[in-house]
Amino acid sequence: MSSSIENSHFLLRRLHSLLGLVPIGAFLVFHLWENSQSRFGAAHYNDEVVGALQGLNYLLLFELFLIALPLLFHAGYGLVIIGHGRAEPRRYGYLRNRLYWLQRLSGVGLILFLLLHVGLTRIAGLFDPSISADLFTHMRQALAQPAVFALYLAGLLLAVFHLANGLATAAIVWGLTASAEAQRRFGWVCAGLGLLLAALGVHGLLGFLIAPAAGGGA
Amino acid sequence: MQARMPSESPACETVELQIRRQDGPTTKPYWQTFVCPVRPGANVVSLLMDLREHCVTQDGTRVDPVAFEHNCMEEVCGACAMLINGSPRPACSALIAELEAPIRLEPLPKFPVVRDLMVDRAALFAHLKRVKAWIKLDGPWDVHERAPRVSPKEWQANYLYSRCMSCGCCMAACPQFGPQFGSQFGPEASFVGPAPLAQVRLMNAHPTGRYDKAERLHAIMADGGLSDCGNAQNCVRVCPKAIPLTTAIGELGRETTLQAFKDLFGPH
Repeated sequence: MSSSIENSHFLLRRLHSLLGLVPIGAFLVFHLWENSQSRFGAAHYNDEVVGALQGLNYLLLFELFLIALPLLFHAGYGLVIIGHGRAEPRRYGYLRNRLYWLQRLSGVGLILFLLLHVGLTRIAGLFDPSISADLFTHMRQALAQPAVFALYLAGLLLAVFHLANGLATAAIVWGLTASAEAQRRFGWVCAGLGLLLAALGVHGLLGFLIAPAAGGGA
Repeated sequence: MQARMPSESPACETVELQIRRQDGPTTKPYWQTFVCPVRPGANVVSLLMDLREHCVTQDGTRVDPVAFEHNCMEEVCGACAMLINGSPRPACSALIAELEAPIRLEPLPKFPVVRDLMVDRAALFAHLKRVKAWIKLDGPWDVHERAPRVSPKEWQANYLYSRCMSCGCCMAACPQFGPQFGSQFGPEASFVGPAPLAQVRLMNAHPTGRYDKAERLHAIMADGGLSDCGNAQNCVRVCPKAIPLTTAIGELGRETTLQAFKDLFGPH
């Protein structure tokens, strides 16, 4: 067996772990915070939040190298990792084992959700400029349908769970938490963080529906 | 010899035993049910020994004795590990009185079956070799050093890992372990499993073994090494010797992070 840096296996696994936290995890937190401002209404959301981001220089490069490519690698390599294990959540009903299984399940669910989510917003916006011009109304109309709302809620919870649990296991992988007590303590920290992010995300989803429609024309 | 059917001795307590049998490595497994008299203090191994003397199924058919492994009878050799009511554990320390009846016995999963409850655990030994789980005591030269000293605190931590008896329970319960997950490099590159990783932790802490620390870390940073751990942590739950396997994995995570740092930026 060759040593660490001559063997890509270790580096690929650690890269997969790292990219899941930064930039993907960091982007998720930013994304949820950004969209939580939906409740301030169409004008604020379209101009101050989405508009400000759309005006960023080199936006496409950021989107490609900080979001799309890391996400593609994380998802693709994640599928490879799933192929190297077989969860038995029923035979071994321990919490960590269930989380192991859920982490893989949520990963696959997220790939499906993100294909839809990115397709319906960012990609659709490329073909229909009115979507990116008034994203608030687009989202408000979409989320008003119960099926779409349920889909987004599921996608949000999957993403938040995947990040929170991924953070807890990454801490073991990188060697931050070694002792069982440290792993348990940090697990609770991650659970708290997950709940916080979930609340932020749900707040954002509801914001699209309850915000004043002024200027939105819903 | 007179058959001792349970029905002939109503005073004797009996237990129903369901055993997954397999006649050879490649033949199909099948189930057989036995009703066995239970002696006070009996465990699964002693029950199987009694059954061997009188191997008659519940419906009265005389069958071949059930093949199984056992040795120490005090949970230190690891030979008798099997699935008991679905959990991997040594059969000698599984007391009949504490088990839910009917008792289901299956060979330890993830390892190839030799016959009945006997499995081939050669993979475990092969993985211990892969991670260099040994200590080079001396060479062909004279080592003029006396045995190095270890603090009691360090000794106490190391002792936990020295209790590993290579029973394979942790590997059986591990969702990442199994010859079928050999990736593109073949079964010899499949995940080494928790027990060999814990031995790396132990050998690296040894006053003489630590000289080969980097070599062992490099071994577990390759295919099928530490990074294949999925943190399901079943290993630490099923370990009959209560070895802190996941703590070892966390410590090795830290050590490999530092080792990668050294490999990338020096000093080597």
